[in-house]
Amino acid sequence: MIRSFAWIDVLFLVSALRWTLALTAAACVGGGLIGAIVALLRFSRLAPLALLGAMYTQLVQGTPLLVWIFGLYFGLAIFGFPVDAWTAAVAALSVYAGAFLGEIWRGALAAIPKTQWEAGASLGLGFGHQLRYVIAPQALRIATPPTVGFLVQLIKDTSLASTIGFVELTREGQTTTAATFQPFAVYLTVAALYFVLCFPLTEWSRRLERRLHGAR
Amino acid sequence: MTYHFQFRDVLAYWPSLLDGIAITLMLAVSGMAGGLLVGIVGAAARLYGPRPLRLLAVAYVEAIRNTPLLVQLFLVFFGLPQVGVRLDAPVAAIATLIVNVGAYATEIVRAGLQAIPRTQLEAGHALGLSGIQVFRHIVLVPALRMMFPALASQFTLLLLATSVVSFISVEDLFHTASIIESRTFRDFEVYTVIGVVYLAMALACRGGFALLYRLAFGRR
Amino acid sequence: MALVEIADVTKRFGPLTVLDGISLEVERGEIIAIIGRSGSGKSTLLRCINGLEPIQSGRIVVDGVTVNDPKTDLRRLRQRVGIVFQSYNLFPHLSVARNITLAPTVAKGMPEREALELARDVLRRVGLEDKLSAYPDQLSGGQQQRVAIARSLAMQPTLMLFDEITSALDPELTGEVIKVLEDMARSGMTMLLVTHEMGFARRFGSRVVFMHAGRIHEQGPAADTLARPRTAELEAFLGAVLH
Repeated sequence: MIRSFAWIDVLFLVSALRWTLALTAAACVGGGLIGAIVALLRFSRLAPLALLGAMYTQLVQGTPLLVWIFGLYFGLAIFGFPVDAWTAAVAALSVYAGAFLGEIWRGALAAIPKTQWEAGASLGLGFGHQLRYVIAPQALRIATPPTVGFLVQLIKDTSLASTIGFVELTREGQTTTAATFQPFAVYLTVAALYFVLCFPLTEWSRRLERRLHGAR
Repeated sequence: MTYHFQFRDVLAYWPSLLDGIAITLMLAVSGMAGGLLVGIVGAAARLYGPRPLRLLAVAYVEAIRNTPLLVQLFLVFFGLPQVGVRLDAPVAAIATLIVNVGAYATEIVRAGLQAIPRTQLEAGHALGLSGIQVFRHIVLVPALRMMFPALASQFTLLLLATSVVSFISVEDLFHTASIIESRTFRDFEVYTVIGVVYLAMALACRGGFALLYRLAFGRR
Repeated sequence: MALVEIADVTKRFGPLTVLDGISLEVERGEIIAIIGRSGSGKSTLLRCINGLEPIQSGRIVVDGVTVNDPKTDLRRLRQRVGIVFQSYNLFPHLSVARNITLAPTVAKGMPEREALELARDVLRRVGLEDKLSAYPDQLSGGQQQRVAIARSLAMQPTLMLFDEITSALDPELTGEVIKVLEDMARSGMTMLLVTHEMGFARRFGSRVVFMHAGRIHEQGPAADTLARPRTAELEAFLGAVLH
């Protein structure tokens, strides 16, 4: 029974947005945690730790997100650890986000001039205190625009969760297309919804960037 | 119940893997080449065009950059036939990739051109060089040098992103993975092998581009 | 025992020898002006004294602590040696008050209230007690440098190092910083200054140390040495600087 693409379908699509946002939020938490660890590892003065961080980043940035999603969803099941689509998607997105956020945050830490480290050291502050009171607060300001920019990427990447059957916006779009046979209207609406979500963030990131570099 | 790794089953399919690699590379290269052309046109429109053209370029860039590639792909492959444009899967894939890369390339090219300080152009004009000469001798090489790293990393991202075309049944490397998986049921091994192959390609790209950069733009 | 003992110190940056067998002793209460051309090793010597730069051979002992010993806790040493840099290096995201109270509260465990009183005190000494809640980017260069001095003073050091602290300032702003140095000198602080301020050196310095090509070329009582240089290099240097 084919039905026409009506407002009810648009509402279904909008409600599926919830899951897109949920995936993004969960990946932020997971990815944020991993990213912080990776950034600190790569900044460490112990060579093996720094190497570990670098290898993780290279590995994750050099493989498609789909491989992680499928690998964790199907691969772990074979091992005897069945995971549901939500867990696999969140895990894959977290691993992925962790590498990119780690890179952004490491860059921000590295951007703080050596003289700030020296000033802190000369006052008798240890490495931990220097990082916590002097370096990290300044790095936070620098890191914010690219972090917000990456958030946009993350929202778009949640669309890949549809490929393992998780019902977020894109998956809902596929279902609606099957029911209404109106792929053009449906996918245009889906794209528009992503746009509404992403564009404000993109603009905000740009504004933050301008304020950061225009302020001086 | 213990699990025994059987990579051999997967690796036995190496001819299919090679085919998949070839398709993936072809997609990435054509996507990049086409996308770069679009990017140059887009940047020119954005910087030098009349107001309506500039707005169009901005709208294009923002529309692409704020929507997922997968959705763009579905729109082109499933949606366009509804309005009369019917494309084969490979053609739809390449077209989508070109349009997608084009938006990012527009921004990269624009940034590269804008990075040349006005004072450089003024110096060129003051020395009596014509517009074209200024562009060729003063703008082009520094702009290319500026753009190169961003374009190189865009290529690597593209190479990995081509994996989505498998969902409109284009037989790229990721699609090959599904085929092998359905035949051998060795999920873990399949995706590990595919991951390693992609990683190898990505690292090769990074290394290759770094070398190219040094050869083309290195210090004398 | 001298407050600072530098014995036969050599420092290299790769193939370049920056300090070539430097020996120097500084008694408590002395004010040493270290002068010389750029590249003579003056700043490097200062940075070696509080361990910011490692040395390849020789020995540096500050207040009984051997700086170049790998077992030395540099952090604790640095709480007793204050250093003020040419580019002030204030923490831009913190207020003046917090810049000053950070190290005493975090590194020494001083209670907040006591630290704030201390901050008011040192700011009064440098003439900036009304800038307690200001931020570095609201201050002039001279004011920022004075805050930097106050920040080091708050740790109550036994020795103060100054690395060309007026070189980055506009001429009309150096006066206020020199005044702070003079007050400090009168109060008996042991000071080592890498400086071009010959006026201050002549009036307040106990000794002048002239460095040339990584070595101490000439040293002696301040006023004397500046008025009657014994070596040709010092004479040439003074001629160039004081023209």
